[in-house]
Amino acid sequence: MTRSVGRSTAGWVRRAVVVALVGATMATGFSTDALAQAKCVPTRTRKCPPPPVRGGTFVVALLADPGQLNPAITTSGVVHPAAEPLFNGLVSIGEDSKPVGELAQSWKIDRGGARYTFTLRKGVKWHDGRPFTSADVKYTYEDVLLKFHARTRASMADALDGIDAPNATTVVFRFKRPYAPLLQQMDVTEGPILPRHIYQGTDPLTNPANSRPVGTGPFRFSSYSAGSQVVLVRNPTYFRAGLPYFDRMVLRVIPDASTRVLALEAGEVDWIPSVPIPASDRARLNRNLALVRTAWNPGGSNCIMTMSYNLDRPALKDVRTRRGIAFAIDRDQFLSQVLFGEGRVANAPISTGIPFAHAAGLNIPGFSTTLANQLLDQAGWPREGDTRVSRGVSGVPDGTRLALDFVQRPADTKYGEIVRQRLAAVGIPVTLRNLEDAVFRPTIFRDRNFDLNVISYCNGTDPQIGVRRMYHSNQIGPVDFTNSSAYRNSEVDALWDQAAQEVDRNRARAVYRRIQEILVDDLPYLWLVETVSTRAHPAVCTGFRYNSGLFAEAAFCRR
Amino acid sequence: MTPLAFARRLAQAVLAVLGIIVVTFFLIHSAPGDPAAALAGEGGDAAYIEAVRRNFGLDRPLPQQFVTYAGNVVQGDLGTSLVRGRPVSEVIGDRLPVTLLLMGTALALSSLGGMVLGGIAARRPGRALDLGITTGGVVGYAVPTFWLAQLAVLTLGFRAGWFPVQGLTDARADHTGFAAVLDVAHHLVLPAVVLALSDVAIVARLTRTGLVHELATDYARTARAGGVGPRRVLTRHALPNALLPVVTVVGARFGTMLSGAVLVETVFAWPGLGRLLIGATRSRDYPVLLGLVLLASFAVVVANLVTDLVNGRIDPRTSGV
Repeated sequence: MTRSVGRSTAGWVRRAVVVALVGATMATGFSTDALAQAKCVPTRTRKCPPPPVRGGTFVVALLADPGQLNPAITTSGVVHPAAEPLFNGLVSIGEDSKPVGELAQSWKIDRGGARYTFTLRKGVKWHDGRPFTSADVKYTYEDVLLKFHARTRASMADALDGIDAPNATTVVFRFKRPYAPLLQQMDVTEGPILPRHIYQGTDPLTNPANSRPVGTGPFRFSSYSAGSQVVLVRNPTYFRAGLPYFDRMVLRVIPDASTRVLALEAGEVDWIPSVPIPASDRARLNRNLALVRTAWNPGGSNCIMTMSYNLDRPALKDVRTRRGIAFAIDRDQFLSQVLFGEGRVANAPISTGIPFAHAAGLNIPGFSTTLANQLLDQAGWPREGDTRVSRGVSGVPDGTRLALDFVQRPADTKYGEIVRQRLAAVGIPVTLRNLEDAVFRPTIFRDRNFDLNVISYCNGTDPQIGVRRMYHSNQIGPVDFTNSSAYRNSEVDALWDQAAQEVDRNRARAVYRRIQEILVDDLPYLWLVETVSTRAHPAVCTGFRYNSGLFAEAAFCRR
Repeated sequence: MTPLAFARRLAQAVLAVLGIIVVTFFLIHSAPGDPAAALAGEGGDAAYIEAVRRNFGLDRPLPQQFVTYAGNVVQGDLGTSLVRGRPVSEVIGDRLPVTLLLMGTALALSSLGGMVLGGIAARRPGRALDLGITTGGVVGYAVPTFWLAQLAVLTLGFRAGWFPVQGLTDARADHTGFAAVLDVAHHLVLPAVVLALSDVAIVARLTRTGLVHELATDYARTARAGGVGPRRVLTRHALPNALLPVVTVVGARFGTMLSGAVLVETVFAWPGLGRLLIGATRSRDYPVLLGLVLLASFAVVVANLVTDLVNGRIDPRTSGV
């Protein structure tokens, strides 16, 4: 049975024109075949693309069992890919990171960016047939997202004054001061809207609807077999008339990475959200598959693998020591040996995926063992034989050996190995501590028990969403994925607060540039590599939104 | 087995399970990691983590937590999963049939396959067939299960296309009735064969050794001299006696097969208890973890008990023990 599917797919693929979309495609928005076809008027010289194919089952590989399907109570990269097709945000991110209306039809910004008035789409229905209204939006933000969604809470909670729902189709977000990033954080990943009539008066964390969700999204819930699969079916009353094209979507849990790729190649699976592909395999896979790079990872986007220095440790307080360590590390190695060339070496604290805030031309230490040795000597760590010992380092008794530990999660072991190898070359022995996620997070953020660590910090689409938390001194504490280095700089704090209020992007750009210049001088972290995800799907399938949780909203396959 | 001997065995079994509960409970709780922090996720601040801890009773002293847990277990309540918010018995119950299907099939394959191969090898000891089976057995036993699983996926699943490479069912088809049974059976072949293979080797070797020994005994020679055919001597006279160690091993394997299932289930995306065990360990879901350890130890104890009973039937000399 299965084989016949695999064979016919393979045959189709061979006959089909191979469309390999490899490259620096930061694919976005609605540039789908479907829309192109709808807009197309055939002439004598121009042929229109064939119409989309309706029906069929689309099979998605999940990396782990989601456990539950409510994306508003977590930022988990396991829950979100499975749950997002069931929901919508108010505004999604279109081409060039521009906001596009989703549940909101239009919006108006006034009071200098301190008030946003959204007009909601009319006639939208929940999967159970009840009408979607502004009360759902007000409830979801106030009672769920601002309490349980880490990024939305961290970025918005302090600035928000209140949310009003003056009538069924109007929602007003009032802020205490101008708040620039709002439209960038209302998509289905950062702001999925839940049905108030199902959640109100219950504990959102334990509501049974978390396992049988009711949303407004393009697909409806059908069944969930824990550990095995989630089955969704087409929502025939979806507000984007005619969409989606697939009748059924099966999200299959396949924990083993190589099995996932083989299942895709065998035609058992149609979509892998993130595939690490060595260059040697790329050519082989390209024959049948479309491989698309995007900076959007499940549950977050524009992520930078970042090494934290624990600034509470006396040995790492001197910026010359931190610079010395940075010069000893060849960041190109992470790109070539860990990411197989997919991504780029980070050249600023803010990702290139946020173009208005990313600062080019900063002077992050490059790879130079000579400069590393000089700086470490100057910082009071002269070399003695194979190691370095302190001479006049503040807070460190003279004669103490410079030895550091490096804490990492199992998936990141290659980062630690490269750091250990490089630092050994300049006389710093590094002990690797490999901790599972459940142990890693309290060790780093609660106990602060580390010298160096590596964390994937996802910047999001605005620095206020995912970058501020790394540098503001009020973000030091037991909350996960905040200021891991314990960096304190009152000037930087003030600049972050100023940037949050700059609705004009040109003015915000200048503030963010100043922040990044100071950060590169102070070097509380070392920004290693910007990571990308490679989505893989059969070349005969098209119409995907690669930067959205609603990736299959307008997709179809010509099998 | 006499009723007294059985009662003694049963008492030992209950004590063993109790001991396992105590050791596992304190072992798991002394491991680093915090289920409340794991549950709170990226956004969990200190107050929220504290609330989670209080909610699940994790803030109370460990001995007190143990007394509550043990009391509940005695009443048949394994607690509530910290991650899923559902009773542990339900969470385990959902996955148990799938794992039993995999383990049961693997056990049947390894027992029957091993005995047949052992019997073939024992008919002409030292000949090419015997050497082939014996060598193959050693190789099969030595090959790591996870490697064999990946090799099977790559060759028989992906390249040859004879079997699906993952899952319990075909995700595209929505089979019902007999077609659904066939679909599951098709998906079961590779994981069950891989899981069975190392045990085939053990059973084949034990059967062969036992049979070679039994066929050289006086009673076998007498039977042959009395005109009984070689096949009948092998199956009716030698085999029952040779099976004693085989039954013991098969019984013991039933309890410990879960460890092999962890690897096989991961590679084949088989939604069973092995993967639940990994997930529960990673998220420090103590009640599920304890429930699974309890289940596995219970299975070992029961399997040993059954093994003793079966051995008693095969060889009455052992029944008084």
